[in-house]
Amino acid sequence: MLYLQVLINGILLGGLYSCIAVGFSLVWGVLNIINIMHGSLIILGAYAAYFAFTLLGINPFVFVPIAGVALFVLGYALQAGVINRVMGAPVLITLTLTFGLNLILENAMIFAFKADYRKVIIDPPLGLIEIGSAFVPRDRLYAMLLALLLVGGLYAVLRTTRIGRAIVAVRMDREAAALMGVNVPRIYAITFGLGALMAGSAGSLMSVIFPISPLTSVAFLGKAFVICVLGGLGSIPGVMVGGIALGVLESFGSLWLGPDYSTTIAFVLLLALLMFRPTGIMGKRGFE
Amino acid sequence: MSERLLELTGVSGGYGDIQVLWGVDLAVNAGDMVCLIGSNGAGKSTLLRCISGLGVWSKGRIAFAGRDMSGRPAADIVAAGIVHVPEGRRLFRGMSVRDNLLMGAYARRDGAAAIRRDLEVVYGIFPRLAERTGQDASTLSGGEQQMCAIGRGIMAAPRLLMIDELSLGLAPRLVEELGEALIKINRTGVSILLVEQDVITALELASYGFVLDRGRIAIAGAARELMVNPLVTDAYLGATALAVS
Ligand SMILES: Nc1ncnc2c1ncn2[C@@H]1O[C@H](COP(=O)(O)OP(=O)(O)OP(=O)(O)O)[C@@H](O)[C@H]1O
Ligand SMILES: [Mg+2]
Repeated sequence: MLYLQVLINGILLGGLYSCIAVGFSLVWGVLNIINIMHGSLIILGAYAAYFAFTLLGINPFVFVPIAGVALFVLGYALQAGVINRVMGAPVLITLTLTFGLNLILENAMIFAFKADYRKVIIDPPLGLIEIGSAFVPRDRLYAMLLALLLVGGLYAVLRTTRIGRAIVAVRMDREAAALMGVNVPRIYAITFGLGALMAGSAGSLMSVIFPISPLTSVAFLGKAFVICVLGGLGSIPGVMVGGIALGVLESFGSLWLGPDYSTTIAFVLLLALLMFRPTGIMGKRGFE
Repeated sequence: MSERLLELTGVSGGYGDIQVLWGVDLAVNAGDMVCLIGSNGAGKSTLLRCISGLGVWSKGRIAFAGRDMSGRPAADIVAAGIVHVPEGRRLFRGMSVRDNLLMGAYARRDGAAAIRRDLEVVYGIFPRLAERTGQDASTLSGGEQQMCAIGRGIMAAPRLLMIDELSLGLAPRLVEELGEALIKINRTGVSILLVEQDVITALELASYGFVLDRGRIAIAGAARELMVNPLVTDAYLGATALAVS
């Protein structure tokens, strides 16, 4: 069954896509910042995992939490030190700022790592699981499961922890949250840090599956954008649905039209959705 | 005379170029319920915002329990024990009643057990919230929303509770019920600064009152006296502004 295989590939990819997009969605939803840097943060996480693997022999799956924590610290510092200064400004200002920060980060990575494509080669390979006539590559399966675990973890943090409630409260009503004694700039920094954490973790997982180069960051940013629109901004279940939808669509798109068109399909879909259902598949206001 | 809890001296404030408050003097004694009345646009909400450090500029001195709190950020004000229940309730949509109440306890450092105990206290004062603990707060009725907003304020364990527009949009019977709840809260030792447009309700509940007119305190006095003061009653009966020379 060719279609079954294509569907499996799509779902495996889609799980990872959810993880790519969820941090972008969180930052957009809570801070009202379109973080142009998101793709580069993913690549940074991927490089960190690549070097940890080649230089220190650390398995990228094991490296996920380390990349996450490191990127959290970076994200927190960026928001607290730089972006918080323009939080009251219109969205175009913050967009320009993250665009500029992205140029710096991207060029620093090209300078440091060169633009060559690199990939983690796990040896011996993890192999395949057979389902009837279809195959599930173990590395992709583990990456997807870990990705979904991370997304689910973020959902649980937002719903059940004190800091999570504060993030949701700040998104709903910044002033009312301040009246509860919430230090709003600090919550902004934590939120941006969490967005970077998800990007870095996703990057580590990706290093096992895709060749990475600083030049691919734009593609990931684009995907995050499409998924947010597909799933509806500001809902984690929406990001999950949007990510898997995009994975499956790309998978079938490259089957029918050739792999070159997979990104085109995504953006055509984005346009169609924006015209007919601008709130996304599961779109509603509020972050949950 | 009992201890001064909140004392404003010559407080001016406003938004950007717009000055709303012009040298306001106001005080709340520990354990008292005090009301601030005045017509639309007089600057009542702006005054509360000055005290809370919320999006306004302010000059002058704001002292709380003997400490100067002027110009401090909102989080410090809450930590000091001043809690502001804002106009229009401003509950967190999409969050349950319980989560809204817990948000009120966000800044507390006295442990989960004390917070749980106060949650029961709030449910004791407002049994209707207990029945709706899991319900999305935005789907509550207006009266229930006000209960939730006040309950959220109590969850911060305040020494001074400032309530903006208690009665706004509520039926008289509900206002009465809320007033009784405020008396109960006041008896537990929480001082209250009540901002109201409904002058009768405010003066019935409070022991002392301030009348704010175009950013200045026009009249201040015991609630019993204000109730029979023609300047107050005339304004309440519909004159446009208080005719104070
Ligand atoms: N964010 C703002 N920016 C500029 N001016 C404002 C702002 N908020 C209020 N004002 C102005 O400040 C003045 C006082 O408003 P305020 O809300 O304090 O009055 P109020 O006494 O609370 O009135 P009400 O009884 O209607 O609630 C009004 O003239 C209002 O237009
Ligand atoms: Mg007001």
